[in-house]
Amino acid sequence: MRASWSRWVVFVAVLAVAMILAVAIGTISLSPVQVWNALLGRGDPTHVTVVRELRLPRAFLAALVGAGLGMSGAALQGTLRNPLAEPYLLGVSGGAAVGAVVGVALGIALTLLPLAAFAGAVAAIAVAFFVAHAAGTRGDARVLLMAGVVVGAFANAAIMLVLGSAPMNVTRDAMWWMMGSVAAATWAQTAWLLAYLAIGAGALLGWARRIDLLALGDDSAAGLGVDPDRAARRIYAAASLLAAATVAAAGLVGFVGLVVPHIVRGTGVRRHRPLLVGSALVGATLVVLADLAARVLRPPSELPLGAVTALVGVPFFLVRLRRLT
Amino acid sequence: MPVFRSITCLSLALCAAIVAGCRDRHAGDVPRGDTTRFAVVRDDYGRDVTLRARPTRIVSLNPATTELLFAIGAGGRLVGRTRYDLWPDSARLVPDLGPGMRPNLEAVLGARPDLVVLYASADDRAAADRLTAAGVATVAFRMDRVADFRRVTELLGRLAGDTARARAVVDSVSATLDRVRRATESAHRPTVFFHAWEKPLITIGGGSFLSELVTIAGGRNVYDSLTVPSATVTLEDVVRRDPDIVLVSPVEREKLLSSERWRSVRAVREGRVLAYDTNLVARPSVKLGEAAASLAALLHPAALR
Repeated sequence: MRASWSRWVVFVAVLAVAMILAVAIGTISLSPVQVWNALLGRGDPTHVTVVRELRLPRAFLAALVGAGLGMSGAALQGTLRNPLAEPYLLGVSGGAAVGAVVGVALGIALTLLPLAAFAGAVAAIAVAFFVAHAAGTRGDARVLLMAGVVVGAFANAAIMLVLGSAPMNVTRDAMWWMMGSVAAATWAQTAWLLAYLAIGAGALLGWARRIDLLALGDDSAAGLGVDPDRAARRIYAAASLLAAATVAAAGLVGFVGLVVPHIVRGTGVRRHRPLLVGSALVGATLVVLADLAARVLRPPSELPLGAVTALVGVPFFLVRLRRLT
Repeated sequence: MPVFRSITCLSLALCAAIVAGCRDRHAGDVPRGDTTRFAVVRDDYGRDVTLRARPTRIVSLNPATTELLFAIGAGGRLVGRTRYDLWPDSARLVPDLGPGMRPNLEAVLGARPDLVVLYASADDRAAADRLTAAGVATVAFRMDRVADFRRVTELLGRLAGDTARARAVVDSVSATLDRVRRATESAHRPTVFFHAWEKPLITIGGGSFLSELVTIAGGRNVYDSLTVPSATVTLEDVVRRDPDIVLVSPVEREKLLSSERWRSVRAVREGRVLAYDTNLVARPSVKLGEAAASLAALLHPAALR
């Protein structure tokens, strides 16, 4: 019991430190006292807006994106019983990106973008499920995973098709989505992402017991009174909403959903309710730190957030793959 | 006859010398007095391109060169342009061959051109080589700075066969630029942030004619030290450079002024956000002079009376 307590203290403390660093460090060097004063709205008005309108919403948005991707990955890995499942690799993010890019091209309102992304994500999953069914394997996790990868590639092609004939301004906006970024974070954007995440996270936490059962295998789940297909579909939908909302807010940020649940499981968490909460905390920490790196490593420009997370995620993916095979 | 041959030899030697002398970044034409050639020009891929006769069907896949060809009186011979070449109005009558970069070669060849003018980006190199291999004289020019405008206008004049008009265009633009420069010379120079794009935040670097225009108009681009034409920057870095004035397109101006994030920039907070004329401040072309004057009118309303 004490070990599990110390784990949560560490998760929360590390996230808190990451947030403090993200608010304290930037192109403009501010002393801790200046940062504190700026947070309270005192001192130089420039420092106040830099801290309160640039760094703070950005850190919160990054944290929410990481939390959503972490939970999404944890739920998908459990449900598919595959440690390599995550929204980016499964084509869920790709489908969401198609939805978002089409939304941008059509010029829909920013607050509705998550819904467009969600529609794209659901379409991507539907196709993946359809392929798995057509293959006659129903819920075979490996087939679903493969189908997801193919759907992801197809989504990429669809995006290129849209962009190939789009005017330059749409292309540039869309490239921004594809590379992932929280640079344009505002409080309003943070608020609506929080709203969408709350729905998806609430649903997943409510169904955490079912994910536990599905993770044991469809037969054991059915034996304990859970309809595995229906449960899997719902969990997929909730996990997709999380992934889609993050894609709408920050574009494609890959590999977070893959890496984070492994880190949390590595600390001894097995059941899915604590795994989901832990993945939210660690995912938040990871993206906050990745974004900090993205904006301070190459001034005055910044690196694409999706590239930074991929640079961290891909080696991790390879190590995992070695251990699995 | 020997005399003639020796003249030919001499002119060939001369052109070899000139070619050798021009092995720097840009170059000009080579021989004069060679009757089998209409013009030879070295383009910005460093290739010597020979025209055997005065071109009558020209495809221009760069908005700036399309404008220039119209300005030097070759507009009537254009048989292809990019989707974005909408100035002057008569350019709209020229067939649209697509977005311009990495052109559709079949569409270009289908226009049966005897001269193709491209923008000299790394992207267009393959297209230039293939068009050349297909027997179509193809030149590619970089047009990033005011000097590029002068150089390319004169080269286009040579290619199109009207050097006098090309020179007139260059002289008139240069005269306007000089007049603007003189008018703002003695004024205090405000520092300027040039807002080119919001997502991602893109600004103009010292490698662009726009940065030169800001200088000519009596300002100082806070990112003039960047050697590239444009670069993405962080908003916080803009805050750090603390420009006196933010230059932005009219559409984006309202957004900037109502944005909480942009309030971190002192010039925005204090309302010094000026909208530039997007019709003038667009391309390193015929309207460079007017563009400089319009920027000077923004930065120094009193000086340009």
